[in-house]
Formats: sequence, structure tokens, C-alpha cells
Amino acid sequence: MSPLLSIAHIVVLVIMIVAAILAVVLRDLLSSVIALAAASLLLALEYYLLHAPDVAIAEAGIGAALTMAIYIFAIRATKK
Amino acid sequence: MKKPVFFIAFIFFLAFMILVAIGMRPFGEPAISNMDDYFIENAQAETAANNVVTTIVFDYRGFDTLGEGTVLFTAVVGIVALFREVAK
Amino acid sequence: MIGGMSRIVRTMTTLIFGFIMVYGFYVIAHGHLSPGGGFQGGAIVASAFALLLVTYGTSQIQSFLSKDLLSILESTGLVLFITFAFLGLGATFFYNFVSNSGGLFGTPSAIGVNPGDLNTGGTITLMNMAVGLEVLAALGVIVLTMSVASETIHKKEKQ
Repeated sequence: MSPLLSIAHIVVLVIMIVAAILAVVLRDLLSSVIALAAASLLLALEYYLLHAPDVAIAEAGIGAALTMAIYIFAIRATKK
Repeated sequence: MKKPVFFIAFIFFLAFMILVAIGMRPFGEPAISNMDDYFIENAQAETAANNVVTTIVFDYRGFDTLGEGTVLFTAVVGIVALFREVAK
Repeated sequence: MIGGMSRIVRTMTTLIFGFIMVYGFYVIAHGHLSPGGGFQGGAIVASAFALLLVTYGTSQIQSFLSKDLLSILESTGLVLFITFAFLGLGATFFYNFVSNSGGLFGTPSAIGVNPGDLNTGGTITLMNMAVGLEVLAALGVIVLTMSVASETIHKKEKQ
């Protein structure tokens, strides 16, 4: 594995962990959901770096877009 | 009372994950690769499709996709039944 | 927020929506040549539906996306998939009886690294389309139902 690719892996994984921690820590629900979607999108990027474009497309479509939309509907229903 | 238990469990889980990560094989070199080699060599000639992943998902391992479709169908039935009273 | 989002978001959605849907159908139709397939393409089209629902609110979209039509499409997709699986029962379940036969989707594929021909793949192409239809409709029904329910609960709590 080339050193540039290793650096890309490490950067993506570190930002992903930061986004996941933010999703747990943040008090505002909408911000937390957006952090979760960012973690999911970075996971899709990591799949692409590992030569699995099929899984990357599914993760980006379901994990980032549809899950976020469903969470937004749930927040809309519970918030005044 | 509960805090030390969680901390010890966390330490054990972290140690387990690190041990697994250290003992992992290098990327792209599986231990047993007879099936992989067969699919990669023969999939294009047998099913006439270029994407080997789709070939496995829809042809060689079609039962998996059938189960996936059934799971999705059941999920839709459950959600529509759950929200039928609310959306009225 | 409940009636939809601001004018900027609405304009961008009307611009982008068609491109996302066409890309999803492209992924479904080229599932046997390029990365992707029925499930992924259906998820992309359903995310376009989710974008519409989040942006415009439920009441304006309900005339465009009908829940009954999507339910029928979903059942049709699953039944088509199982039918294609049963049609290969002369040899085995899920036998690819169309490929290399010379008819529609039956052209033999060139061996080796090549850009590919759309008229190959046999039942894989047909099953891609069936599963794409099913996933598109199923995720669309889930998103639409949840959106309608969330709007109804919001209205009830406001009173």
C-alpha cells in the first residue's frame, strides 16, 4: 500500500471517529443527526478506498441520505 | 457502583479489538481462495456479465437477494401497519 | 419549517432532483456492467424522494407520490424477481437461462477487461430491474409514510 493511500485511510478514519463522538456528545438533535450522516458518508469514502464501490454506493444512499431523512422526520414529530 | 464494571468491560472490549486488529491478515490475501478464483475466472464466460459482484449477488448466491427482498417487504408491511392509525 | 424550507433550498431541489433520479435509473440499468445494481440504484432514487419530502413538506408532494401506486410497484418488483428465479427451474432455481442464448440480453460477453455491452447479462439484467423497482418503491413507501405520520403528529400537538 502506498504511503499516500495510508495517510488517506488514517485521515478518513480519524475524522470519522471525531464525527461519531460528536454525534453522541452534541445536545442539539439536528446537529447530532448531521454528525451521524457525516460519519456515514466518510464510511462510504473508506469503503471506496478499500475497493468496494458497490458497498460504498449503498452506504451513501441509505446511511447518509435515507437515515438522515427519517431522523429529521422523527425530530419534526417530537419537537414543538 | 456501576462505573467500574463498565470501565473494565470497556478495557476488555478494547483489548479484544486491538488483538483482532493486530492478528488480521494483510489486505487482499485471504487464507482460502478457491471459490474466489473460480468466480473471478469463470463468471464472465458463464453469465456474460462484466460486474462479478452483481454476478455473485444475483446468480450464484441468488437466495441471499431473495431473502433481502423479503426482509424489505416485511419491513414495509410493518411500517405501514404501524403508522396506519397515526396518519388517519 | 413544517410547510417546507426556504426559497433557496426549493430552487436547488428542483434543479438537482431530476439528475439524481436519472442517475439512480442509470445505476439500475447498468448494474451488470458497472459498480452498483438494483439495490443501490433504488436507494439513490428513494433518496431523491426523501429530498423532495424534506424540502417541500408532505402536503404538496402527496399528489406527486401516491402510496398505493408505490405499494403496487413494490409487490410487482418482488413477484417479477421470484418469477425470473422460477423460470430457470429447468436446470436449478436461479439458473441463468437467458445468458449466451443470443436473444434479448443474451449476447455472449467478451472475455477479459472490456467496457462491456448493455445487451449482455441474461437474467441478471432483468433481476436488477425487478429488484430496483422493488427497492425504489419500498424505501419510497417507508419515507412517505413516516413523513405523513410526522406531520400529523406535529399538527395534533400544536392544537
